Amino acid sequence: MAMLYYEFMQRAFWAGALIAVVAPILGIYLLLRRQILMADTLSHVSLAGVALGVVLQLNPTISAFVMAIIGAVCIEQLRRSFKTYGEVPVAIIMTSGLALAVVLMSLSQGLNKGFSAYLFGSIVAVHPSELWLMSLVALIAVIYFIVLRRPLYQLTFDEETAQLGGVKVRRLSLSFSVLTGMIVAVAMPIIGVLLVSALIVLPAALAIRITGSFGAAIAVAVVIGFIGIFSGLSLSYSYNTPPGGTIALVLLLLLLTGVAVKRIWQWWSKYKKLRRNSNEQEVMENKHGGIVYPGSDYSRLLKQKQ
Amino acid sequence: MDQLAVMRDVVFGYEETPCLDGVKLEIGRGEFIAVTGQNGAAKSTLLKLLLGILKPWSGEVYFPRMKVDGTKLSIGYVPQQIASFNSGFPSKVKELVASGVYPKLGLLRRFKGEHYDIVENSLKQVGMWELRNKRIGELSGGQKQRVCLARALAQGPDVLVLDEPTTGMDYDSRQGFYELMNHYAASHNRTVIMVTHAVDEASRFLDRIISLEHQERGGWRCFTTNSCSAHFGPEP
Repeated sequence: MAMLYYEFMQRAFWAGALIAVVAPILGIYLLLRRQILMADTLSHVSLAGVALGVVLQLNPTISAFVMAIIGAVCIEQLRRSFKTYGEVPVAIIMTSGLALAVVLMSLSQGLNKGFSAYLFGSIVAVHPSELWLMSLVALIAVIYFIVLRRPLYQLTFDEETAQLGGVKVRRLSLSFSVLTGMIVAVAMPIIGVLLVSALIVLPAALAIRITGSFGAAIAVAVVIGFIGIFSGLSLSYSYNTPPGGTIALVLLLLLLTGVAVKRIWQWWSKYKKLRRNSNEQEVMENKHGGIVYPGSDYSRLLKQKQ
Repeated sequence: MDQLAVMRDVVFGYEETPCLDGVKLEIGRGEFIAVTGQNGAAKSTLLKLLLGILKPWSGEVYFPRMKVDGTKLSIGYVPQQIASFNSGFPSKVKELVASGVYPKLGLLRRFKGEHYDIVENSLKQVGMWELRNKRIGELSGGQKQRVCLARALAQGPDVLVLDEPTTGMDYDSRQGFYELMNHYAASHNRTVIMVTHAVDEASRFLDRIISLEHQERGGWRCFTTNSCSAHFGPEP
């Protein structure tokens, strides 16, 4: 716990806790709406925002934040134009964001050094002002997810029926995209552009696999997010590794473990059920002449015969 | 019979040529109507135009969203592909059906006992109450379709629009379903519009059949029967 004596670590844990609440919830909706690449795309766009901020001598966090929101609005507008090919706008915006970031980086001397902190995340990169911005975004996101949980559920299940059920689909979808942009932009300093989608996707992917209801999926995703971020940050501090990569690896490990445990559990339940059925069958058949079925206990039957 | 919706000379297409051309249609309150036609006859498109999901190139679609008493007209819609949703969707049957009640509740009103009763009744009506705690991904295609129907029923809709709702259902379930819809339309004066290929087995429950027929100049247009006997000929 010695690491918590450092202010930058306290800030990192606070930031991690805030992201752990909102990013996995966002991930659940993105995953179910088949928009999972949107987080990745917006992180690339926000990278262009960082570069633009440095070139124009603005606050890179603010410029990244604004660019991510603009990117989210563009994706939403393009998504309406490419209804049949929903991935096209994501590809367009992702390549545009990355191209813009590369060109702007080349325009600014000395930018490359600070860039790696944005690419891979840095514990020391969380400034107090960024923490305030994160708190504000997390508060907005939590209120948004609580108040709009019903229309969001309807939208996630099916857009057309949601629209006929009175949900303002376009407005809700746009606001959701903007919120995605905001969360991606504020998560960037701690986990980095390249891995921000891992924080959104991995807890949600595991939660959806292991839970049976929507509410449980959201709760479990948040718990997984917390475990992943807190253990990732601690490991990152102990072994001096980039926090983004470490958190992503911990989350990946949790996902693989969760999937494996679920498989074993399913296999075990199936095995127990088969065994119970075969034992019941054995008892029934033995009363009428002792026919042995697969799965029954041969040795016990032989003893009975003897 | 009160008029609910009207389509006049509607022309619509997805590409350059129209798939529906000169469609004329009238739908009254309390009717149980089947829309039928060959594959690709734009039956689902006709429903989407009627519901305002698609906008016609020309012509007029009149489908008021308010009732005479000033309250909002509730529409329950079960699209064709709705049951093919992501099988990993993390919801139990009762949770999904409960979402049909959300339009009544708004954003923040609590889910109360009366709303649980609505969910229970809807599930019982489609014969899915026993499977209420199952994850929807574990259900068969026909069961998923029935759950989606229960969700639409939970809305208590004034108009029920169903796009091939009996896909995946066995014969007995289909007959039970047609009977339920007939009762829903006749007893509650609600309108049921259903796209189906199986008009012959549903005919005794229907008020009217709308057939989409191909025109020589291209596109499909509606041929509306005033009664089922006009479609099948008089009953022997």
